[in-house]
Amino acid sequence: MLSKKLAIEVLNEMLATGSDYAEIFVEYSTSNAVTIENGKVSSSSTGITSGAGLRLLKENRCVYGYTSDLSKKGLLSLASSLNKSFNGKQLIAVDKLEAIKCKNRNVISKSYDDIPLQEKIDLVREGTKEIESFNNPHIVRYIGNFANNHRKVEVYNSKGKWFNRDTEFARLAYSVVVADENGMETGFEGPGCQMDMSFFKDKRKPREVAHKAAETALINLNAKECPSGKMPVVIGNGWGGVLFHEACGHPLEASAVSRGLSCFAGKEGEMIASPIVTAVDDSTIPNEWGSIDIDDEGNLGEKRVLIKDGKLVNFMIDDFNGRRMNRKGNGSCRRQNYKYCPTSRMSNTYIDNGKSTPEEIIAATKLGLYAVGFNGGSVDPTTGEFNFGCSEAYIIRDGKICEPVKGATLIGKGEEILKKIDMVGNDLKLAQGMCGAASGSIRTNVGQPTLRISEITVGGRGGELK
Amino acid sequence: MKYDKFFALAKERGISEAEISIYNNYSLSFSLFHGEVDSYSSSNSSTFMARGLYNGKMGSIVSDVYNKDSAEQFVNAIIANASVIENDDPVFIFKGSVKYKKISTFNKELANISADLKLKKLFELEKKIKEIDSRVIEVETVGYEESSSSSLIMNSHGLKLSQKNNNFVYYGGAVAKEKEQVKTGFDIFFDNDFNKFDVDKLANSIVKEATSKLGGSQCDSSTYKAVLSPDVVKSLLSAYISSAIAEDVQKNSSLFVGKLNQKVASRRVTVEDKPLAKTLFARSFDDEGVATINMPVIKNGVLLNYFYNLTTAAKDNVQSNGHGAVSGGSKVYTSTWYLEMKPGKKSQDELFKEINNGVYITEVQGLHAGLNPRSGNFSLQSTGFLVENGKLSHGLDIITVSGNLVDLFNDISEVGSDSKEFISGMKCPSVIVKKLKVSGK
Repeated sequence: MLSKKLAIEVLNEMLATGSDYAEIFVEYSTSNAVTIENGKVSSSSTGITSGAGLRLLKENRCVYGYTSDLSKKGLLSLASSLNKSFNGKQLIAVDKLEAIKCKNRNVISKSYDDIPLQEKIDLVREGTKEIESFNNPHIVRYIGNFANNHRKVEVYNSKGKWFNRDTEFARLAYSVVVADENGMETGFEGPGCQMDMSFFKDKRKPREVAHKAAETALINLNAKECPSGKMPVVIGNGWGGVLFHEACGHPLEASAVSRGLSCFAGKEGEMIASPIVTAVDDSTIPNEWGSIDIDDEGNLGEKRVLIKDGKLVNFMIDDFNGRRMNRKGNGSCRRQNYKYCPTSRMSNTYIDNGKSTPEEIIAATKLGLYAVGFNGGSVDPTTGEFNFGCSEAYIIRDGKICEPVKGATLIGKGEEILKKIDMVGNDLKLAQGMCGAASGSIRTNVGQPTLRISEITVGGRGGELK
Repeated sequence: MKYDKFFALAKERGISEAEISIYNNYSLSFSLFHGEVDSYSSSNSSTFMARGLYNGKMGSIVSDVYNKDSAEQFVNAIIANASVIENDDPVFIFKGSVKYKKISTFNKELANISADLKLKKLFELEKKIKEIDSRVIEVETVGYEESSSSSLIMNSHGLKLSQKNNNFVYYGGAVAKEKEQVKTGFDIFFDNDFNKFDVDKLANSIVKEATSKLGGSQCDSSTYKAVLSPDVVKSLLSAYISSAIAEDVQKNSSLFVGKLNQKVASRRVTVEDKPLAKTLFARSFDDEGVATINMPVIKNGVLLNYFYNLTTAAKDNVQSNGHGAVSGGSKVYTSTWYLEMKPGKKSQDELFKEINNGVYITEVQGLHAGLNPRSGNFSLQSTGFLVENGKLSHGLDIITVSGNLVDLFNDISEVGSDSKEFISGMKCPSVIVKKLKVSGK
């Protein structure tokens, strides 16, 4: 997208006033999305994201600018307006650029660009037909959507390095609205990958995905309101990992830790979780939704063990925030697109397998909540206070899964909850989500095996748990 | 003209009606950490959105660039996307409204104020936050953001409309600590008149947001009488009012199906959408080019209007009331522009006296996860205070509030006089709800 000659010229203009690091991020991405609503194709769209983000660092200061004008004039004008933030002499000059080589773990055998639109529509339709086959008058609205994105990125920096990344990812999602005389409920299921169509043909078939969305909505229609108060909660595998993502993942990002604004800052080497908890952020899992081969600073993807047997051992670090921590980046620097200044973010973040079976965990719980579906949540990394909402949950009585309940929200503090995990299952599973933070909305996996929290505050409208 | 090639090619390839919208945005921002500028950002970007009718179906494309290849690329995408549409929704490239109100939401002076002065005020803000209260142990963040944007719609019917606006935001967050308890507080100020910014006022508010949460404890899980802050009312109202989007009503997936001219809230509740009011959010036309109007949505508890775009209005055989929002796809969505809930006469203190014993909820969090706008059910992490003998008592820590939006809005027994404007384009007062479920201990 950019000639090396122009990249060198722009980098030197950025460096002219004494910044100690300069970087050009250039992007050309295309996206396509098609939607079937109540059986008929209702929308089909094309998007092009194209532009450059320029970042200059000097000690702990960061200057960022972006433009959708990729001409020589546009880039040099942005570079010279940004370099006015500093007024020193040029410290570094770039005269050549050497390529960084990295493995491509996310190989796509056939590009989504070469798949006819009709084939994508047919894929979505397999799922919407499944919903129609319920033949259930309570289903009032159902939407199926397939979206794919092809992202081409080039990065040039003042270390004399450059690299490019060519990634493709896709997501298939169904949402179902059901209603009866008592009200309305919804169900959603939306798996995604960095893989070709075989993912949707072999691993997550449209019929099964759509079935799950409709089933969740219908279960909730018949569910009672969730009781409230403090109780033991068994959290199901896969999407249950959103608990760790919110409660602990965000506070372990260098953006919060480096400024002392995380509840886990300064606690490296300390026991912050129950000894049966090991937590990992791994951007190297082939074809996974949150994987990256190389991050936006040119650091290679890594498997980072964050918590080992309860002890805090690592963070997600980018080079810039690492400056305040005297640490190098560990491949965690990410952004949504060129309009966002990059920072430390999660990739595929999960609690690792433990020793119990899911059946043992349920059987060991006399009275509590079994939460298996989630809508997402949020956290204040400084206080560690988090919340997340359940989309599918059941009451456990005498070690057995009983009646479904709806409208449960789990809240607490990350530091406290990690210590209250008293059983960890052996059925680790990952689930795909979008994570929003300072550098935009990015693809991340959450994940965990079935696990139990001995006590957590549950919000709901069903009164006391009896 | 730059876009003639697009319109000519569209016509040649059989696109019967075509439109292009151009959005330009300029932004400037900086933030401080520990007395130093730690980030500075500036940008200039454009977005081009093209739509067209091909064999009676709408196709579209959105792109950050428009260059010599774009006319061909845009036309091809419109045809490809329109060709697969199966539903029979009526779609339009709009010929224009009879009249558009002239609105000025751009303040030329803002760009003339030096970056140095904007930065100086930010240093003052950081310093003030630290000085006000010794329990503030850290200034989490302070920042300034300025943006200026313009939009232009042109179509093959000869319609050409433009509008522009600008604004700035100062924001800050403080971390307060007492014993082992840590709490954060955050607040913002926004306007497009720089002279209205008061450093002391914002600093005080940020510090109060953080320190007032200290010393909190959980309350008993129970049903309480409650005062909801303007912030909480804004969050809940924004979800509830989305039930008035005509498309959801037409598709039987809204709480307001069959509720037009019926009671959907307590008689104390009156809500208007006011795009033509003199605010930073004013606009004279929607994304389809339809002239906007000020319109009542709920009056004394009765639902008076749904929000329409051209497609949903045609389905109900009415005129669009100018709420079309285009976001990139061929489909036109629906948006509100400036929702104002009518204030009452009593101050917030009088509301506390009126409930005598109960809770005051100041913040709700995790709305995307804990609130379902279709069912109206919510269960949300919250912060607030206990109200005892008509006065605020201690803070409430780690609680959730839960209920259903229909019940809650019907349960409002009093509306305060303390309206607050929010950057999301809403203005709301405090309210009293007769009963609210709180989960704590």
